[in-house]
Amino acid sequence: MGLTARHVMQTRFYTLRPDTLISAAVQVFQQASQEQQTVLGMMVTDESGRLVGMLSMYDIFLLLRPKHIHIWGEMQDLEVGGILEAACRRAKSMRVGDIMTTEVITITPDTHLLLVIDIMIKKHVRRLPVLEDGKLLGIVYLSGVFNHLLELLA
Amino acid sequence: MPIIDYKNVLKGLEVREAMRRQVIHLAEAASLAQAISYTIKYKVNAILIINDRQEGLGVVSKTDLMGAYYAGLPLSTPGGAVMGGPPLFCQADDSLDSALDAMRAHQVHRLYVRGDAPRRALGVLAYPDIVGLLYRYCFKCERSRRSSSGSHEPMPDRFQIREVMSPTIYAHQESDSLQTVIEGLAAYRFGAVLITTADGLPLGVVSKTDLIMAYKHGMAAEATARTIMSSPVQAVDGSAPLVSALKTMIFGDVHRLFVYQKAPQTLVGVLSLSDVARFRSGTCRACLVSRIKI
Repeated sequence: MGLTARHVMQTRFYTLRPDTLISAAVQVFQQASQEQQTVLGMMVTDESGRLVGMLSMYDIFLLLRPKHIHIWGEMQDLEVGGILEAACRRAKSMRVGDIMTTEVITITPDTHLLLVIDIMIKKHVRRLPVLEDGKLLGIVYLSGVFNHLLELLA
Repeated sequence: MPIIDYKNVLKGLEVREAMRRQVIHLAEAASLAQAISYTIKYKVNAILIINDRQEGLGVVSKTDLMGAYYAGLPLSTPGGAVMGGPPLFCQADDSLDSALDAMRAHQVHRLYVRGDAPRRALGVLAYPDIVGLLYRYCFKCERSRRSSSGSHEPMPDRFQIREVMSPTIYAHQESDSLQTVIEGLAAYRFGAVLITTADGLPLGVVSKTDLIMAYKHGMAAEATARTIMSSPVQAVDGSAPLVSALKTMIFGDVHRLFVYQKAPQTLVGVLSLSDVARFRSGTCRACLVSRIKI
């Protein structure tokens, strides 16, 4: 079988709920990052623990980006000090379920590491939830794969 | 009316200079729920529907989603069932003028930019993208009001909000059903409607985004406008400088403000971000592109 997702996945992980406010979700990000590596994406599960989405740093960036930045971004004569803080204040009251990515690519614990790499390259994803019979077992991070390969390559 | 080229500040500019390269798309079988999520998440007004060869088949707009809500379609309905189409394409090396003409002729707000393969979109050009570019070039144009003053210092904001606003306000009463609001928005092609009391006092605003969010959250279309309106109404004093409205829009991430005269309860017009951008750009009114209407 060789090296598979089972060998590199993190089995201790935080999850979010769809109705969690963004203000609470980022606190979970901060907590997870203090305990583990820097966490830039997190799985979202429903009440029964079923995976329903992923919330990434990119999703939060999209939320913060003003809709018409291509217009006022040209107005260099306009003073916009404090706009980022205003965007953050607005974002806090949104819910995870409103901005999460729902089309999540998943793997199984037996997915070969080279296949994991292939998916990450082709699909431009940095993290892959690991499911077995619909049950969430862990998550594989790009950095986890790379660190594992470093040991083999050295 | 003849087009006088030397009065066109966008002359010589191509679509590639204004287009966005991120095309928000979904497969034909993707549900309306997914289409709504994408419009909210990516803050776009329309989603390109593609087939498995990545070819554009049609477009699902907020108006289409609103129509699906009105018709009572289940959220699991494929987007392909309500899309309009086929999508209109232009090429990256087309002139912006010709792209604008195509938008006007077809009464659309966006064109997809064709890649090497027919019907495959490598970008999208929307009206607001052109307005942004217009601001940049008008700012530097030698015929602009800025340059004519001989100074490159920021131009004092000579315009008042009431000079730029549109005096037409479309309103519904708080007790009107969402179905009635949808009918009004569809008939008048507005993006949002003012909600008032029975006595005509402004209470809130219902936008297309509010309606499709209500759809996604399972709210009955028979519910009243009051249940989903955003309140209070974001309004500005018509006698205030234009720049103050612009800042309110930018900081609130909204592209529309209501305008009042004397008292906030006395609304007299609506101001859009694109109107502000065009007036504030320094555009001389003789220039063809200064007449872009969004």
